[in-house]
Amino acid sequence: MGNSFSRVLSKLFGSREMKILMLGLDNAGKTTILYKLKLNKIKTSAPTVGFNVETVAFRNVKFNMWDVGGQERLRPLWRHYFPATTALIFVIDSHDRDRLNEAKEELYSIIGEKEMEDVVLLVLANKQDLRGALKPLEVSNYLQLGENLKNQLWCIVGSNALTGQGLVEGLSWIANNTKNR
Amino acid sequence: MSSSGIYLSEAPVRRTGGSGNALLRKIQRACRLSLVEPDLSLNLDVADYINAKQGGAPRDAVLTIVKLINSRGIHTAVFALSLLDVLVKNCGYPIHLQISRKEFLNELVKRFPEKPPMRYTKVQRLILTAIEEWYQTICKNSSYKEDMKYIRDMHSLLKYKGYVFPKINQEDLAVLRPSDHLKTPSELQKEQEIAQAAKLEELIRRGKPEDLREANKLMKVMAGYKEDNIVNVTQTLTDELTKLKRKADLFNEMLSALDTAEVEDGAIVELYSSLKSSQPKFQKIIEEKQGDEEFVQDLLQFNVKVNQLIQKYQLLRTGHASDAHKLEIPVSTTSPAGSTTLANEINLIDFDDNDNDDIQGSGGGDGGLDDLLGDLLGMKVSPPSQGYGIGGSISLGSSQIAQPIETAKNHNSIDLLAELSSSHHPSPPTSESFTPSRDVDLLDGFKSSTSSSNGRLLVNSSSNLSLEFEVTRVNSSAIKMFSYFSSRSIFPIEDLTFLVAVPKTCNLKLLPQSGNTIASGSVDGVTQEGLIENAPVDASKPLKIKWKLTYTLDGKSIEESSVYTLPKV
Repeated sequence: MGNSFSRVLSKLFGSREMKILMLGLDNAGKTTILYKLKLNKIKTSAPTVGFNVETVAFRNVKFNMWDVGGQERLRPLWRHYFPATTALIFVIDSHDRDRLNEAKEELYSIIGEKEMEDVVLLVLANKQDLRGALKPLEVSNYLQLGENLKNQLWCIVGSNALTGQGLVEGLSWIANNTKNR
Repeated sequence: MSSSGIYLSEAPVRRTGGSGNALLRKIQRACRLSLVEPDLSLNLDVADYINAKQGGAPRDAVLTIVKLINSRGIHTAVFALSLLDVLVKNCGYPIHLQISRKEFLNELVKRFPEKPPMRYTKVQRLILTAIEEWYQTICKNSSYKEDMKYIRDMHSLLKYKGYVFPKINQEDLAVLRPSDHLKTPSELQKEQEIAQAAKLEELIRRGKPEDLREANKLMKVMAGYKEDNIVNVTQTLTDELTKLKRKADLFNEMLSALDTAEVEDGAIVELYSSLKSSQPKFQKIIEEKQGDEEFVQDLLQFNVKVNQLIQKYQLLRTGHASDAHKLEIPVSTTSPAGSTTLANEINLIDFDDNDNDDIQGSGGGDGGLDDLLGDLLGMKVSPPSQGYGIGGSISLGSSQIAQPIETAKNHNSIDLLAELSSSHHPSPPTSESFTPSRDVDLLDGFKSSTSSSNGRLLVNSSSNLSLEFEVTRVNSSAIKMFSYFSSRSIFPIEDLTFLVAVPKTCNLKLLPQSGNTIASGSVDGVTQEGLIENAPVDASKPLKIKWKLTYTLDGKSIEESSVYTLPKV
């Protein structure tokens, strides 16, 4: 139903297309999120060496979603994916408290790039299903987003890639906040 | 895209690039109307900016420039083309990648009518010049020339439509030739990183499935999951050093052969400066290569030799010929076996370049020779039709045969000397100072033949075997050529393969060799008959052939090759 509905909408409002870049440390769940959105399936994946790209149609928006591997060696290559990005989804493993600081550093080094100063930022506090995972608010406090991001549109959403919880919410936030772009 | 006569199919990719405002401003400044002529410093400023920024900058620059080229004002278009030229020459691969994009090329010729006009506009002429220049340089010798495919396509498309490309000044081409400068491993790596990053971003931008597949592969290489990068750097370094060693040998030979009057000759000075300028790099390379004992030792030894050569040259230049000739500098022995890294040696010194300069300098008097050298450089070594041990249409190891000309250094010295003697120095060099094994080759370059007693021509004689030709004329257009191989070694010669190439205008038929083994001491152990067709009696220039000999001796594979001028028959 959603499908035919979105087609009607796109006829009414004209469909948009945008590039979404999904980054985050290794094992944060980026690839799982991508295929949950694309196929509504849990695809168990090995660590991504390289990147995946899928187009996800949502409402009247076509999201070109780029999921780039998060291993340390790949991170210096992230910047090659920055051009023409409309929105950044930064995925965090909310259960991995030890690497939260590492994630924070990576996030700020991305956002600090000139090419990324205009993107809208969605932080997914992923793995909410795990016991002991930090709540979205806790993650947000840790990252000090409110204090540091004055000129950037940002939002944090708790997510569970296995059930899909939070994902659609996140995408619709992006869709709603990129209208004029 | 507006309708225009010429374009490569498929619509251009949409998407506007991120606007680098500083870049745009710099470009506009370099092309503004108030300038009287293109300002090199402003142009270089743009180049520096792009080199520092990378990322989207090369693309944005090229997009802006092509827009300016197509603008109404001739002034702006001319300035934009001059800026583009500077970028192509100073920004390397990232810009080359952008100008080789189909969309860019289509835009570039947007104002070209389907049928060539009677007279080209200034802008059209400049565009044709640019494409021809790219075609002759980066399309041929860029390390990533497979990425320049669309430039070649556009070149042939325009040609097909009847457009005529202007002749390019050789000096302009020289700038885009691969540089002779030796680079340290870290410099090579840096260069590679920049090129790969540019490529990756371009692939991501294009975003077609095949591009993405390639991008994924490239990413693995860049992230170091594959060894390719390190291997490449090492390989490039080794190749460059091998080339330099060959240069040193050539320089050595030339120094021994020439007297003081000739030390200012262009080719010699070029070799000298290329050796001298690479020396400071040795230290850096050694520092970076600490740990690779063998490599470092080898380079240190070579350094000693270069020092000696430089000393010798300086002695010669200051008129101390006798002191200079006392300096005995050994010829280095880079394995004579089929080392494939030398395949590009033909580029060692750019003969074409000199040729054309000579034509201009001497009023075209040497045209015949130049043509011939061109022919020789272009010709392929052809195997015998049903050669011994090579097999018919189904064969193993045909790759050895299919390889294009693998010139040994003999060839280079000959061409070079032949050219020297014809253009500036009619007197043959003093032969006493030649190293023994080479004097025959060297002399053959300009004396047409050295006859031996039995009416045969001694073509080459190494410590292992000698090669003689017997050349007779069959009719007014064909020459028969018998080759005789005799052993001069205590070991038997095995797996002998003899390849010959003739200029493109001629036609060569080689009959199979009589065998491929020569017993120790055997005279005329192997013979071979060949027929050169379309070689008229009254040919204006002497017939030159190129030959290559490979064989196994005492378990080592050895290769000899050279160019030989047949006497008139």
